[in-house]
Amino acid sequence: SWSLFFLVSVVWVVLVCLLFCSRLLSVGAAPICTNAQAGCHALSLANLFDRVIQHSARMHGISNDLHSEFEQYFLPSKNQIGRVSRNCHTSTIFTPNGKENAQRMARQELTEVILKLLVAWRDPLWHFHQSIAHHHDFNNFSANKALEMSDMVHELRKGVEKVAEKMQMMGIISNSVSSLASPEALLPSDSAEWRLMKDYDLLYCFRRDSNKVQNYLKILKCRIVPEHGC
Amino acid sequence: MKKVLEVILLLLLLVVTHAKGTRYSPPGKPALTRCRSPEKETFTCWWEPGSDGGLPTTYALYYRKESSDTVFECPDYRTAGENSCFFNKNDTSIWVNYNITVVATNALGRTFSDPVDIDVVYIVKPNPPEQVAVTVMEDKGWPFIRVSWEPPHKADTRSGWITLIYEIRVKLEEENDWEMHLAGQQKMFNIFSLRSGGKYLVQVRCKPDHGYWSEWSPSSYVKVPDYFHREKSVWILITVFCAFIFLILTWLLHMNSRSLKHFLLPPVPGPKIKGFDKQLLKNGKSEEVFSALVATDFPPKSSNYEDLLVEYLEVYIPEEQELMLEKSMDLDVGCLKCEGSASDSDSGRGSCDSHTLLMHKCDGVKEEEERQAKEAHGPGYWECGLSNKQPHLLHPQAQAQRQLQARSDDNISSIGRKQTPAGLHSPARRSTEYVEVERVNEEDMVLLQPVSGRCGDVEGYPEMPYGEDYSKVKGVDMDNMLLLQREVREETENCDTSSTVTTTQKPAACIHSAMPVEGEMVLGVNGYVDTATVCTPPTY
Repeated sequence: SWSLFFLVSVVWVVLVCLLFCSRLLSVGAAPICTNAQAGCHALSLANLFDRVIQHSARMHGISNDLHSEFEQYFLPSKNQIGRVSRNCHTSTIFTPNGKENAQRMARQELTEVILKLLVAWRDPLWHFHQSIAHHHDFNNFSANKALEMSDMVHELRKGVEKVAEKMQMMGIISNSVSSLASPEALLPSDSAEWRLMKDYDLLYCFRRDSNKVQNYLKILKCRIVPEHGC
Repeated sequence: MKKVLEVILLLLLLVVTHAKGTRYSPPGKPALTRCRSPEKETFTCWWEPGSDGGLPTTYALYYRKESSDTVFECPDYRTAGENSCFFNKNDTSIWVNYNITVVATNALGRTFSDPVDIDVVYIVKPNPPEQVAVTVMEDKGWPFIRVSWEPPHKADTRSGWITLIYEIRVKLEEENDWEMHLAGQQKMFNIFSLRSGGKYLVQVRCKPDHGYWSEWSPSSYVKVPDYFHREKSVWILITVFCAFIFLILTWLLHMNSRSLKHFLLPPVPGPKIKGFDKQLLKNGKSEEVFSALVATDFPPKSSNYEDLLVEYLEVYIPEEQELMLEKSMDLDVGCLKCEGSASDSDSGRGSCDSHTLLMHKCDGVKEEEERQAKEAHGPGYWECGLSNKQPHLLHPQAQAQRQLQARSDDNISSIGRKQTPAGLHSPARRSTEYVEVERVNEEDMVLLQPVSGRCGDVEGYPEMPYGEDYSKVKGVDMDNMLLLQREVREETENCDTSSTVTTTQKPAACIHSAMPVEGEMVLGVNGYVDTATVCTPPTY
């Protein structure tokens, strides 16, 4: 009777797992519709924006935490002169520095700026994570955060691209944004500049840039779909 | 030119003051205390001046923007008050690192403060929320407070430039502890679980994503209406109801306490033997217990005594036929019972009611019956002799001598009757001595044997309980009358000196008036024949 009981329990567990997995897969399998095709979930633009904004907020939060940790370990005084020894490598990208400037900028331009920023940080963050992982002063928690940050940049870029697609589809922005499909074209020639930056500087710059991305996305959202939370 | 004049004046002042004895020094180091931006579009920096060194000191704020070496001076020293610098929209750049320094200058020198790096994004502290409205509303009879507000007018949340989150705190007017609620980005909040009739204070504040909390908004007062009475009456009703039910249950329990107790704890059955005393068993020895059992009325000494006897002999019958009939009747009964018992284990007793006696009686009477049946009126002889089964009793030689010949025939009974008919009714006396039938000899005579311990030669022989109702047969005289003795507790010698069968002399102590009536009565009653002389040693 023990063997029978064991067999029954194994079968039951397998069934439960299958059921669970099928449910999960079914959820993931629903494609995002491009042309409101039948049989798929069409996310509204507002919904897409919300998701992307949440994602960027989380990304910025992680960068903020890491920055604080860095400051604790390496920079006891906050007010050191010449803290940032170099400019951020993204300083070549023109980003609006004020509300008016940001509002004055066209949606399309703004979207492009966001995408440029996200693309520019893909490689540096990966290398940042690598150097953190090998650094003995940092624990695993920091290394994990760095990795998460690196992944998030990647995901966020995809999300913003989807939003851009949707906007194009809806006619909100023109099709010139499609040139962003090849991100390598956006990188400045001195793309290796970031390699010369110290870890701390990289983090400092990214913290700021993630804030920019978040803010720009919010501005876009409240300009295009102002229904919720604006 | 002007400057030269100023320097000369200062020098003169110094000389003068020095001459007066006071000291002057360059200004102390100022310090930038904080920089704040209310809406992420402008910002203000405040500094703390150091000592002025006794001389009028001026302060100047200089700043450098990120990665630029151009030094700018503060555009506006007044708008934000004393020791402050206000940066308007045109001069404010977000996501740009400002390097700010304050310089204190007096006649003797200038002192630089420590530089401060700021990014406007991270120094945002908004104004408190505005238009805080608190109203009391009702939800199915229970009141709650709805708080609503607006973001500070300067902060541009509509365009998405700033995102604010809000926090509310509530307290009763007379208490000190605030109840905090985080409201997120919404501009409205409900507060429940209010004390009826209480007066509440409500305050709201806000904070950007990454920045500082604003100050609390001014208190808003609200009074919650009384709903306590309704609440109380319900509770009173419930309490009364419960108390009532409780009382009923208690009363029921009390009424059925016994049966409940029996149900829960069934009583342990105790021993139910009549006359059995549990206390004795617990306390004392088993002998007492059993004697208690024995003591009461066992063996019963009631008039039903004769019922216990398997058989008894009835000697007297007014008429011969009656005698025979009775005998036959009893004998049948008795004999049946006799046959069952083979052995006689009553050592030392040798009572007439022993099995042997009974058997012998059976046999004897049977034979007698037979004889009587044959002869109808033939005399029956009884012989009292010693039982074979009690060898310790008497010397076999003495046996012969002691044998009595008791004759029973209807003469006795008839005689007895003639003489003292009244004696029939006298009661209560029983034979105090038992006789045991030993055997029936060849002449069809029942040999009887005494049982009492009075026999001198009888050793180890337990005393028979001599009651006053027993009488012993002393002898049979030549008139064929049984001579009975009453006193049995006298010395055996006395008794021994009693005459033999054939003598009529009786020792005074042991004798009572021999009354054939008694003998007859005694015999009638229980059919025992007591022969005292049987027990006498062979002294004659």
